Amino acid sequence: MITRREGRAKVTGAARYACDARLPGLLFGRILRSPYPHARVARIDTARAAALPGVRAVLSASNSPAIEWQQSSRLFDATVRYIGDEVAALAAESPEIAEDALGLIDVRYEPLPFDLAGRRQKPKAEERGSIARGLREAQEVLEAEYRTQTALHNALEAHGCTALWQGDHLVVHESTQGIFAVRDEVAHKLGLAKERVRIITEHMGGGFGAKQVAWKHSVIAALLARAAGRPVQLMLDRNAENLASGNRNATVQKLRLGARRDGTLTAIDVRIDLEQGAYSTGGEDSDVIGTYLTLYKCANVRAEQTALATHLGPAVAFRAPGYAEGNFALESAIDELAERLGLDAVELRLRNYTSEDQREGKPFTSPDSLRRCIARVTSAVDWPRRRPGLGFAAHDWAAGGGWPPAEVRVEFRDGRGRLTVGAQDIGTGSRTALAQIAAEALGIPADAVEVALGDTAPRLYGPTSSGSATLATLAPAVQQAARAARERASAAAKRGDNPKDRSIRTCGAQAVELAVDRETGEVLLQRVLAAHDSGRIVNPLLHESQVIGGVTQAIGYALSEQRVVDARLGEVLNANLEDYKVPTVADIPQIVNLSESMPDAEANASGVKGCGEPPIIPTAAAIANAIYSATGVRVRELPITRDKLIKP
Amino acid sequence: MRAFRYRVPTTIEQAVGALSERSRALAGGTDLITLMKAEIAAPEELINVKPLLPRGIEAPPAGLEIGALTTLAEIEQHPVVRRRYAALAEAASLAASPQIRNLATVGGNLLQRPRCWYYRNSRIDCWLKGGGECPARDGENRSHAILGAGPCVAVHPSDVAPALLAFDAALRVHGRGGERTVALADFFALPSDQRRRESTLGDDELILGLRLPPHPPETVSTYLKAMDRKTWSFALAGVACVLRLSGRKVAHARLVLSGVAPIPWRAEAAERHLLGAEASADRFAAAAEAAVQDAMPLRHNSYKVPLLKALIRNSLTALTDLACK
Repeated sequence: MITRREGRAKVTGAARYACDARLPGLLFGRILRSPYPHARVARIDTARAAALPGVRAVLSASNSPAIEWQQSSRLFDATVRYIGDEVAALAAESPEIAEDALGLIDVRYEPLPFDLAGRRQKPKAEERGSIARGLREAQEVLEAEYRTQTALHNALEAHGCTALWQGDHLVVHESTQGIFAVRDEVAHKLGLAKERVRIITEHMGGGFGAKQVAWKHSVIAALLARAAGRPVQLMLDRNAENLASGNRNATVQKLRLGARRDGTLTAIDVRIDLEQGAYSTGGEDSDVIGTYLTLYKCANVRAEQTALATHLGPAVAFRAPGYAEGNFALESAIDELAERLGLDAVELRLRNYTSEDQREGKPFTSPDSLRRCIARVTSAVDWPRRRPGLGFAAHDWAAGGGWPPAEVRVEFRDGRGRLTVGAQDIGTGSRTALAQIAAEALGIPADAVEVALGDTAPRLYGPTSSGSATLATLAPAVQQAARAARERASAAAKRGDNPKDRSIRTCGAQAVELAVDRETGEVLLQRVLAAHDSGRIVNPLLHESQVIGGVTQAIGYALSEQRVVDARLGEVLNANLEDYKVPTVADIPQIVNLSESMPDAEANASGVKGCGEPPIIPTAAAIANAIYSATGVRVRELPITRDKLIKP
Repeated sequence: MRAFRYRVPTTIEQAVGALSERSRALAGGTDLITLMKAEIAAPEELINVKPLLPRGIEAPPAGLEIGALTTLAEIEQHPVVRRRYAALAEAASLAASPQIRNLATVGGNLLQRPRCWYYRNSRIDCWLKGGGECPARDGENRSHAILGAGPCVAVHPSDVAPALLAFDAALRVHGRGGERTVALADFFALPSDQRRRESTLGDDELILGLRLPPHPPETVSTYLKAMDRKTWSFALAGVACVLRLSGRKVAHARLVLSGVAPIPWRAEAAERHLLGAEASADRFAAAAEAAVQDAMPLRHNSYKVPLLKALIRNSLTALTDLACK
């Protein structure tokens, strides 16, 4: 078994994260945030803060460039649009001085009316066939409304960076899942040539989508460092992390499913509202309608989603954005429909199986993999022996096939390899898996391959770690470069395009076994069984880590996590890890990874697909379906807390 | 956090002399420091009492003496507490996280302030912090009080306090006039306009320790706690139950509730239903009903009524099974 190569460094504390950069003369930056959900910043006086001994730089709208941000706003805008919006920033000799100095910035706000219900944005709609016809053909129509909550990422490591200037070059040690995305964006915002900005991410403590775009703190840290002439470290605290660094948007999904008596789906009609927050971050456009268009074979589909702009923190991608939300509703509804039709819930899914991507009009590269995942899970739980507390859900995911372009380099001397890539390790263990791919092609053991990643300086472009794309993007290029390096000691290779005439998807199935205590409303999870198509599984240990991590995060989404907002104040009440309930180890039952390696030669030469996101997708629906099986109570709103299950 | 002075006195008298409404005693600090970081509390001076106050558990043949600095972890692990005062050991083990239990003291535990998310948010004004209104009463109140709510609807956060009350604990307190003993039941009091906190301890008083009276060996006890997840959460509802049977008849019963009232809440009406009665499921259900007869749920916490009843029934059933073994 090949273990994670940075495991020892992480466990012993030797691994260096963005906040571990201890540079000579380092200052500590802090951001002043709006206490109002909507207000005009009438006046800012930073004189008292600047005069505090130890304060080295103070920035506000009056002395910093009016950098355009999020289409309609500025770095420090004259209007603040949610509690947590950036108003000013400063850097000081210690975090404590910086915190004290924030309290000395005098701001006069003129509060404006705020809106949490939301202004409707332009809808995004897709349609095929005719919904009217599909509903006419239906012998059974299920109509239901499902709701999902706003979920907060709460990566172990907060957003943040350490920025320093070397002459007219900027170096940023950043906690990011996209070093090139941050490099390009920071350079653009500061008006610098891209080559003058270097982003380094040696290790990071999770991102889950919220670190796939550049946020203001990176630019603010760079400006503070320039103003002070010293390096600046700017890490968000947990409160800011929960207010101002993204979230999974809440949804209301109104749907109708039409089917014939034999289970054939004739119509899928869904209208979805999703809460977007105050800004469009560029990463928030989650495709909630996606799974409605692709998971099941259906000729007549109408799917529409509308974002609602509110005076709350902005949404951003969160592990399988859109699909975790959509899947909860669709896979709950499929179970409800099966019961109406008197059909077995898994059988109903199989009767509507599709081997082509109906959205793209292309066959899947692995048309049978979902069927194989369903078979593995249902046989492991002995599905035909249905019993109370057993629930099931299937899923698909639009990504996982890799997102070219990318370029890699391999050097091979004296039986040792050195691989350089321009991606970062979001925490999945990319170094280890990439070393294995290179070692295989070089014909040497994996530990004879050194891997350099997480740095834009070598100018080898790598993809953002999103869409479960890192390994699937890089592996084919690594394989190609390594093969060439065997012949000529050093070789570079570019990732080729994905096939044009085929659709690459990942998919899977999960089953949940649980019991419910109706007297106390407590859900007692017993087992989660998961099978996912990740193409060829390069490292079973790392793959299983993703399955366990994804299911764990999904259990929080299903049962305990939700951002709570006071509607009168526009205030997030649980922007901390005490009241925002991520699951603990005690909440997690046995998670059985049944996934088999299914090399997908049609997808790419390495046969590899991603596994970061899929495991989070079907768990919530499988839990809701298991709860219905145990109790007869159908809960259509997440999270499924005690109050929804307790007998009055 | 505001700047503060820090003092380490060498005698209890010195410490008490330094205490005032503008200073605070520092022991484990697990609550006080978080309050100071959020600027809910801003004492001018911290008095470190860790070198001064007693720490540890003494179990003479009769009763139990617990020093104020004894940690929750020490209570949880003490063999006599586990054997003779099971509800207390269970309550300590269900509180917070192991890291916090290693640091938090029992004296500080009794003095901790509510976890109400309005109270804890420095941007939000509330009655308990000296403001006019309670924003939780008509706000997001799923974790708030169903019993005893007045101008404040927060719940008391302690798990061990209900267990200590159920064992009729008394406090030893040191003030400027010397030492006094106060029943724990009198130490907690609903906050009022004149005293916006949950205890009657004076600003210049220190808790020295607790004394638990002896009880007959056939006494059984347990603490049940419902949370939003399996661990590391404050109680949505909880019950400390101490029971003694004589044959099938209830000879002694104490039920003290957590997570449902601004202070640990003794369910005397429920106890009255039990005392002298035959232990039975019907009787337990009647006692549970009596415990919530005065409940006034808020908009989002009516689930606490059936939850609390279930915990009471479950605790009585479990203890009866244990007693009859």
